[in-house]
Order: sequence, then structure tokens, then C-alpha cells
Amino acid sequence: MDIIGTVLWPIKWVIELLLVSFHSLWTFTGLDADAGITWVLAIVGLVLVVRAALIPVFVRQIKSQRKMLEVAPQLKKIQDKYKGKRDQFSREAMSRETMELYRKTGTNPLSSCLPLLLQMPIFFGLFSVLNDAQHDKAGVGLLNINLADSFANSELFGAPLKSTFAQQFTLATSGQPFNALVMVIAATMVILMTASQFFTQLQLMAKNMSDETKASPMYRQQRILLYLLPLVFAFSGVAFPLGVMFYWLTSNFWTMAQQFLVIRNMPTPGSEAARAREARLARKVKEQPSITTADGSLNAASSGVIETPRQTTQRVQPVNKNRAKKTGSPKK
Amino acid sequence: MKTAARFALLAPRNALVLLLRAYRAVISPLYGEVCRYYPSCSRYALEAVQEHGVLVGAGLATVRVCRCHPWAAGGVDDIPRRRTTKNRLTSFGFVVPLPERKV
Repeated sequence: MDIIGTVLWPIKWVIELLLVSFHSLWTFTGLDADAGITWVLAIVGLVLVVRAALIPVFVRQIKSQRKMLEVAPQLKKIQDKYKGKRDQFSREAMSRETMELYRKTGTNPLSSCLPLLLQMPIFFGLFSVLNDAQHDKAGVGLLNINLADSFANSELFGAPLKSTFAQQFTLATSGQPFNALVMVIAATMVILMTASQFFTQLQLMAKNMSDETKASPMYRQQRILLYLLPLVFAFSGVAFPLGVMFYWLTSNFWTMAQQFLVIRNMPTPGSEAARAREARLARKVKEQPSITTADGSLNAASSGVIETPRQTTQRVQPVNKNRAKKTGSPKK
Repeated sequence: MKTAARFALLAPRNALVLLLRAYRAVISPLYGEVCRYYPSCSRYALEAVQEHGVLVGAGLATVRVCRCHPWAAGGVDDIPRRRTTKNRLTSFGFVVPLPERKV
């Protein structure tokens, strides 16, 4: 227990620094220092800082995904080599070769578990901070006893941020007075989290996967996951205090927005989103009022604009020397 | 008798094997395929514990997880193999002693 406490100490310190900074910022802008909404907004601020710090990791992942386009032919070669071979040894050999190709070309599209691992201590740190505050204990850093007390006793629409669904449910079943609002808010958050997760995953799977990925077994695994996660959310929604749930919910919303922007502006080559983007760009060019000048120099410029989106994803197929002679130069 | 002692010696590593198998069955699928190495970190940990025991295996696995970050190149990274082995693996992944060689 003490080892975990020592590991979490610096994380809790930083969390408290961020929480207290945002709390004083919101108080400064005129919100009530003890109100639940002020503390919720402080948690939202914490999420924004944490997720913004993780952007470089995300950008790197996207960049290597773009570079995947260059190694697509080699990847296809490996896939063809093991086509139809379903036994364990072939699958392993295929994974080996694929990974080696990623390493050699520096195009590894996987993000490693670090982004996930980084968020977990933050999550538990926040849980621990809230838990301490609930027992009227001061934090390890800037969260002094007065602030901890304010945090613990703050209420959103009359539901204390420190309370959990499970705790209220126990009160209710034992016939003691309980706060139904806590349960309503917790249930709403679980539904919102499930909805945002569904949206994010569906968007990713339906639009941002190349047709080859869609045929892989990994895709099926992801689909199962999609229906498993609501259960995880429901479980945590019952066990975690509202304040911690707000962290998770905001983080989910961030992921959804980030995913939306990336899929819209930098789709995976060969996916439906990429085709949609090309169509959108083509439409935009067409809609532009054509400016014709006497010498036609601007026309040349605009035709150059039209050509650019075309060369984005499609790789020019190599043509046999004999065929190339027959058909003449390849069509544009 | 001697075999029983060898089974007992292998007990801690088998407990960890069970734990790792449970992790790989329940938690790994939750976030899909993210590892930049082959074999993945959890599989590496499993193999390392099977081959080198709890202490060395856990150490190897920790070093590997630290090496797996978004700026690492990734690629194929197998565990260091022992030259000889006195054990074999069951289909589930438990480590059991091989029968004593008759001299």
C-alpha cells in the first residue's frame, strides 16, 4: 500500500496543483468557490491539460500511419505470401515479418501502451485525491484542508461530488435517507460515456479503416470490444465517485472530438473517410467561381489545384513494358 | 519425492502464469492491439516468466515495458532463451518438470 502511495505522490501533487489552479481561475472569474460546478470545471481543466500533453503522441501515430502508404506494396506482398494460411505458425511468422517491416521503414502505426499507462495513474491519483478529501484529509500538496473540505462538500444540482451510486444504493436498500440525484447523474454519465465511446469507435471502424484492415481478424475483435465496453462503464459508474466520473467523461468527449477532426482532415489512406475527403475537396474546387482572364494564366493555376487531390492516395500501378506499349501512355 | 519438490519450486511461476493468462484473456482485449513489438509486452512477460522464473522474468518484462513507448522503433524482440531446459510447457502454459533422465 505504501509503495503505491509513494508512486502516486508526485502524480497527486501535480493533480492538486492543476485542480487548485483551475479552481482559483474559475473563482476569479466569479463562480462560487464552494459550488459543485466550479470543481467540475476544475476537473474539466485538468482533463484538457492532460489530453493536450498527450497530443504529440497522437500526432506521431498519425504521421506513421501516413507513411504506411509508402510501404503498402511491401505489406501487401507479406499478406499475399500468407494468404489463406490460418494455422498458428503462419500467423506468427506473418506478424513477425510485418513488425520487422514497420521497424525497418519506421512506420509503426501502433501507439504502445504508454498513453494508456500514463492516464491510469492520473485517474487513480484523482480518485485518491477525492477519496482523501472525502475523509476530510488535506492533500499532499496545494490542496489544503479548507479546499479539500470545499471539494468534498461541493454539490452539483444537489448531488455531492464525492458520493457514488453504490453508496447511495446501499442507503436506499437499508431504508435510510438517500440522494436519488446521485444515482440519476451517475446513470446519465454512464449513458453519455457509452454513447460517446460508441460514436468514436463506430466512426473509426466504419470510416477510417482501409478495406484490408476490415477483412482482418483484429477488426472482429474490435467489434466485440464495442459491445463489451458499456458493461465496463456501467460497472465503474456504480463504483466511482461522481468527481472521478467527470474526469472520465470529459476525457471520452475529448477523444471523440479529436477522432472526428483527425478522420475528417487526415483520414487513413484507402478508407471511406479518405474517399469522402477527396470528394469534398473536388466539390470545393468546382464550387469556386471560375475566374477567367484574357490571357488564361489563372485558369492554368486553378487546374493545378484540381489535380492535387487526385494524387493523394492512389498508387500508380506498374505496367508491363509490352502492355505499356500497346495502350500507349497510361491514362491520367 | 524429488519431482514433488521440483513442482513446488515451479509453483510461484505457475501462479504468475495463471495471472498473466487471465490478464491476456480479460484485460488485453479491452484496448486492442497497441504494442509496437512482436511478441507483445504481455506475451513477452508470459514467456519470460515461463522460461526464467518469477524474479528474472518480471525484471525482463519490466525492462521491456519501459522500452515500449511511442518513440521506440519496435519490431521483433524475443526473450533471451536458456541454453538448456529441464521443464516443459503444458498447452495452457503452465511449467512442469520434465521426467528425470535415466542414466
